[in-house]
Amino acid sequence: MSYSTFNRKRFDSMKEPMFFGENVNVARYDQQKHPIFEKLIEKQLSFFWRPEEVDLSSDRKDFQRLEAHEQHIFLSNLKYQTLLDSVQGRSPNVALLPIVSIPELETWIETWSFSETIHSRSYTHIIRNIVNDPSLVFDDITENAEITKRAESVSKWYDDLILLVGLYNTLGPGVHNVPGKGEVDVNLKALKKALYLTMVSVNVLEAIRFYVSFACSFAFAERTLMEGNAKIIKLIARDEALHLTGTQHILNLMASGKDDPEMEEIAKECEDEAYQIFFEAAEQEKEWASYLFKDGSMIGLNAQILGQYVEYITNIRMQAIGLLPTFETKHNPIPWINAWLVSDNVQVAPQEAEISSYLVGQIDNDLDESDFDDFDL
Amino acid sequence: MTAISNNQDLLHRVLLGKKEILVTEDEPLLAQLERAGILVEYQCREGYCSSCSLKLLRGNVIYLEEPLAWVQSGYLLACCAIVKSDIEIAFFSNN
Ligand code: FES
Ligand SMILES: [Fe+2]
Ligand SMILES: [Fe+2]
Repeated sequence: MSYSTFNRKRFDSMKEPMFFGENVNVARYDQQKHPIFEKLIEKQLSFFWRPEEVDLSSDRKDFQRLEAHEQHIFLSNLKYQTLLDSVQGRSPNVALLPIVSIPELETWIETWSFSETIHSRSYTHIIRNIVNDPSLVFDDITENAEITKRAESVSKWYDDLILLVGLYNTLGPGVHNVPGKGEVDVNLKALKKALYLTMVSVNVLEAIRFYVSFACSFAFAERTLMEGNAKIIKLIARDEALHLTGTQHILNLMASGKDDPEMEEIAKECEDEAYQIFFEAAEQEKEWASYLFKDGSMIGLNAQILGQYVEYITNIRMQAIGLLPTFETKHNPIPWINAWLVSDNVQVAPQEAEISSYLVGQIDNDLDESDFDDFDL
Repeated sequence: MTAISNNQDLLHRVLLGKKEILVTEDEPLLAQLERAGILVEYQCREGYCSSCSLKLLRGNVIYLEEPLAWVQSGYLLACCAIVKSDIEIAFFSNN
């Protein structure tokens, strides 16, 4: 039962399920049960970038000129993203590597998680450049109630799975008494369920939780402010799009039953909980938007518009894994964001950013009085 | 109509709600919808993010290269789908 770093058994890894089969032994990619993961690895490697290559000297001046409530928006988003990438830089490895059973998926998990560590390092690069004491920003991540509330939501599924896998790999199936947790029923079905829900929660993290922050970063850049930051965010968004596709593949392969017939059943059984994970995240993101704008909004964005955007992308992400797009908002209230999210112009000079600046005004004009009810200018 | 092909035989009708757009096989659906003034969600524009996924209610599309994103059955990825017949599409499965 226990995990082996080099499984001595002889078996055909082409017949193994993605998870909970044999521990991987030979890291070979000449044959692939799910070639998509090898393709994702190649794509991710082609995306490689280093934060230090992005010049942030003008961001420092821009930041000092931002109004206090805009600095709050900017720093809060950085804190939240730092939390998310702290989790993603380790958790796929800690939670998934002990249970993965095919080499190309194992390596995708490592490649994916590694790219998250680049994101984490980029936040240090940004924060160092805009504040004199980075600790003031970093220390708040474990203290600020708005952030810690979200830390609980993004880590709890991982932590449940890690606990179960640890028990399963050391003690095997059965009811085990765990200090501080009481009786824990460890069985393969429970593990698979915990895995499925973890993947849903990770999909939500990759595919929804970053986007309010992305929108704010790009709204600053539309005003030619914090453009170095926007360049970094574009690179991060490109990576995140690949990660979300990775999680969509895992979830859809599971639900199809083609990889492991029992996972198809589990996906069906977990449908309500999967919806709840999406709903909870969407709700939290809307609350986050209100928190960001508590002392004032920024041009082109307010809590209500961001709330609609959250509903809209949540619909898209739910539909992508076979759930119904149940939210009201069926149109993107900030369509200008896509021109920033698109990766083909990641290398553009910051001043080219001005091209789409008029769009913020355009969106602004579309608002009526009621859009401004929930914040003070 | 903005979409004009050298080969008139290769024009296909795209029905989206009450709108009808003519498209060619020369480039993916997304760019042609945009030129017709229709906003479609996108991010990567090269088949790996699934943001441009649209419901394909009727008709056929092909991909010159298999996209990295998962394509649900009954859906298409607008950024890289080449329309091969008259088609009917929708933004979401339930609108
Ligand atoms: S825009 Fe990314 S898959 Fe089409
Ligand atoms: Fe990340
Ligand atoms: Fe990610």
